[in-house]
Amino acid sequence: MQSPSDAQLIERWRHEPAPLLGLLHAFHDRDNYLSESVIRQVAEALRIPIADLFGTVTFYHHFSRVPGGKLLPRVCDGPICKLHGCERLMGQLGAASMPCAGRCDEPIPVLRGDELLVGTRARDLVLRPSPLPPPNPGGLEECCFAHIREKGRATLAGYRKSGGYAALERTLRELDPTKLLDIVDRSGLAGRGGAGFPTARKWRAVAAAEGNPKTIVCNADEGEPGCFKDRALMDHDPHALIEGMLLAGFATGAERGFIYLRYEYPDTQVILERALREARAANLSGPKVLGSSFSFELYVRRGAGAYICGEETSLLNSLEGKHPFPRNRPPYPVTHGFEDKPTAVNNVETLVSVPPIVARGPEWYAGLGRNGHKGTKIISLSGDVQRPGNYEVPLGFPLQTLLFDWAGGPRPDRTFQAVTMAGLSGGFLAGDDLEVTLDEPCLRSKKSFLGAGGVMVFDDSRDMVEVARQAMAFFAHESCGKCFPCRIGTQRLVERLSLEAGPRDLAAWQDEVHDIGQTMMATSACGLGTAAPAITESLLRYFPDLVRSRLEGAKR
Amino acid sequence: MTPKDAVAISAKRAATTVLSLSIDGESVAFTAGESVYQVARRAGRSVPTLCFDDRLDAFGACRLCVVEVEGQRNPVASCTTRAEPGMVVRTKTVAIEKHRKTLLEMVASENPKGVHIDPLRGLASQELGTLALRYGVDGKRFEGAQSGHSRLDDTNPMILRDYDQCISCYRCVRVCAEQEGDYAISIANRGFHTQITTEFAGKLEDSSCTFCGQCVQTCPTGALADRRAIQHDKLPGPIAKTRSICPYCGVGCSVDIMTKGDKIVGVQPAMDGPANEGALCVKGQFSWEWSQHPDRLRQPLVRKDGKLVAVSWDEALDRAAEGFRAAKEKHGRHSIYAIASGRAPHESAYSVQKFIRAGFMSNHVDNCSRA
Repeated sequence: MQSPSDAQLIERWRHEPAPLLGLLHAFHDRDNYLSESVIRQVAEALRIPIADLFGTVTFYHHFSRVPGGKLLPRVCDGPICKLHGCERLMGQLGAASMPCAGRCDEPIPVLRGDELLVGTRARDLVLRPSPLPPPNPGGLEECCFAHIREKGRATLAGYRKSGGYAALERTLRELDPTKLLDIVDRSGLAGRGGAGFPTARKWRAVAAAEGNPKTIVCNADEGEPGCFKDRALMDHDPHALIEGMLLAGFATGAERGFIYLRYEYPDTQVILERALREARAANLSGPKVLGSSFSFELYVRRGAGAYICGEETSLLNSLEGKHPFPRNRPPYPVTHGFEDKPTAVNNVETLVSVPPIVARGPEWYAGLGRNGHKGTKIISLSGDVQRPGNYEVPLGFPLQTLLFDWAGGPRPDRTFQAVTMAGLSGGFLAGDDLEVTLDEPCLRSKKSFLGAGGVMVFDDSRDMVEVARQAMAFFAHESCGKCFPCRIGTQRLVERLSLEAGPRDLAAWQDEVHDIGQTMMATSACGLGTAAPAITESLLRYFPDLVRSRLEGAKR
Repeated sequence: MTPKDAVAISAKRAATTVLSLSIDGESVAFTAGESVYQVARRAGRSVPTLCFDDRLDAFGACRLCVVEVEGQRNPVASCTTRAEPGMVVRTKTVAIEKHRKTLLEMVASENPKGVHIDPLRGLASQELGTLALRYGVDGKRFEGAQSGHSRLDDTNPMILRDYDQCISCYRCVRVCAEQEGDYAISIANRGFHTQITTEFAGKLEDSSCTFCGQCVQTCPTGALADRRAIQHDKLPGPIAKTRSICPYCGVGCSVDIMTKGDKIVGVQPAMDGPANEGALCVKGQFSWEWSQHPDRLRQPLVRKDGKLVAVSWDEALDRAAEGFRAAKEKHGRHSIYAIASGRAPHESAYSVQKFIRAGFMSNHVDNCSRA
């Protein structure tokens, strides 16, 4: 097949909503890089100043500007892949690195063009579907994972077999937006991407806001290291997400939805687009859904490699084709979101939870939690445990039960040294603080938080100062560069953890690291900068002796 | 409801009720739509900032303007926080001042050449150095890598791109887009690797830059510098500033002429100039050296026997008048045609038409913009 001309690609995309990323990818896929000529043409077609577009292209990790650059293999060097020898694999392949690519339950992912391979040695690399969640280990009732392991679940027929789209049908038949919002409200569902904002309150704000069209944006830019739950949900249950977005659209009065998918999930994009075509063909999306007066169009947009685009306002800027800095808030996206119109930005897991809530009732969902916490949370567990994977736990569930009973405990002859929370953003927990329950109040009392639910485990063979250095290097790599404390602070903390710069005396070292951390936490403009110092603060809290001996070693 | 509507509605409300908030215990009235920073500044608080320029949208990057607002868990950037009635704001607590000092120490740590630089570099170039003095910051703490990298390969004669001094406040990028509409410069890369760039990281001459110099004048560290002015940085003596009007066109932009002794060493735009509010174009900003050029005409010359000879003003004017009179007598009143300069102010244009109409009884007068 002849490859499309520049003019054809531009014509295909220029009238689409949120066209920039799609158009850039179309050229990137065709040419395997973005040439100067392409950037000039895209700038002209979409009326973006050339300097702006050039700057924006350089913001994303995966857009290449050298011929053939897209095909250069990229090896994940996330915290878990570091444990599995990603540096060796990178050497074998002559590859570049990429930040955590969300395959921590089956390391090491290697992106070659649009193929996502896995393996720990070059000769062992294989192309295979991403892992399902392990079989329900505790026999507890699940919400998101209840049917995900069923064969053929990713197809429309498979989804319908176990009651898929019944919630949508019932909603269109029996409910109005107010009643649907009431159901979501009573379920206690809150944002599962990490912020924990009550979903019904967000949706009500969008419904009440003036301005049209309204938009649902699914945040599927799962960039937090050690988090891979959204990948599992979208790969194995894509219709659940589509149904969740349709319900969100119905509740808020939105008429369009975008799934903003991270670059590192190429297989997922294929799966989602196939599911969207199935849904549209069955009149489950598009104009007048199932003959009702409700219309809803859905689009997938692929990111290009930028952790900050998981921050909702940065995501919106990215979607709009702007430089993906976070926006100043207020105003919030619920009133001034995509293209300045009311927008609900929800995480994949949040949206996937909605159809079962509607089908089985809010009380059922709320009752899944423990100790007064409502509902469930998917934990992406990885690292030094026997059985890594995605586990759906009741909120309030003991971490120890998850680690030992469900995931099989540490490797033979090893003990747990520390775990991370919220991927990396919640810092480390260690010692007696491993006796926590998985819910925000308990974790906040330990100066951590549950966030998106990534838990990475490090046993007693691991060098925690080095783990902390790698974690901070990730934040420095991903800092957007807008606000001073994060841009400079993450860099200075990496230099101090690696001993490249900074004092060698423990008291002075602590003083600098703590001052930088406190100011970052208090004054950074978004969650990246406020969360990153949790790494150094918790390292000092649990492992001061390791820091001391590292500094003393460096003095000699 | 758009933000504009919101402002309009709040403004309407404000017309009937006086809005006020508390700043460091003092009740301060404000207008709907004002930011906490604007209210605090009006109330005489000197809240520090490095990314703020009155003419630009508040950006919230440097975080130096953080203040405590009762009910908020973390300090907020006062520049991007809208004033609300009943707000209780504290601008200078011990904790806030400590954060500001730490932030300034972090900023100073990425400027290895130091924060105190020649004021000829640009109008705002002393901002970082001034804050460093105020907070007792010397740039020795938090040593580490440097972020910006100077573009000494860009040899254009007007703008020095000395990004070693850059602190990534993006005032240059924003003034270029928001004030000039040129979009010549932008932000490349991310985080600590951020650089100010042009399209394809080229030189300013190959970009859509018009060399208006606005980026130079808003730069708070002198990372962008006026190359014409800093030629004179070794000249001894203090810099004096004289308010004047740019002589180039009829807009009447206010400028401050900078001199050392009797030598002009640069021009800076006047932020309070009613016609320009801080704006200038390439001519007003950079083309001031002609007044000191050795070829400049310094007295009247008349041609005698085919040679230009220096004469007195009286002699020169007599000679000109004679020429006009001779032409009129020989060829009639319509033989004289005056074209006024488009750069000339109203008063001069008036004089020219008066001179032609009353002096020669002719309407043959026009302006160079049309002639």
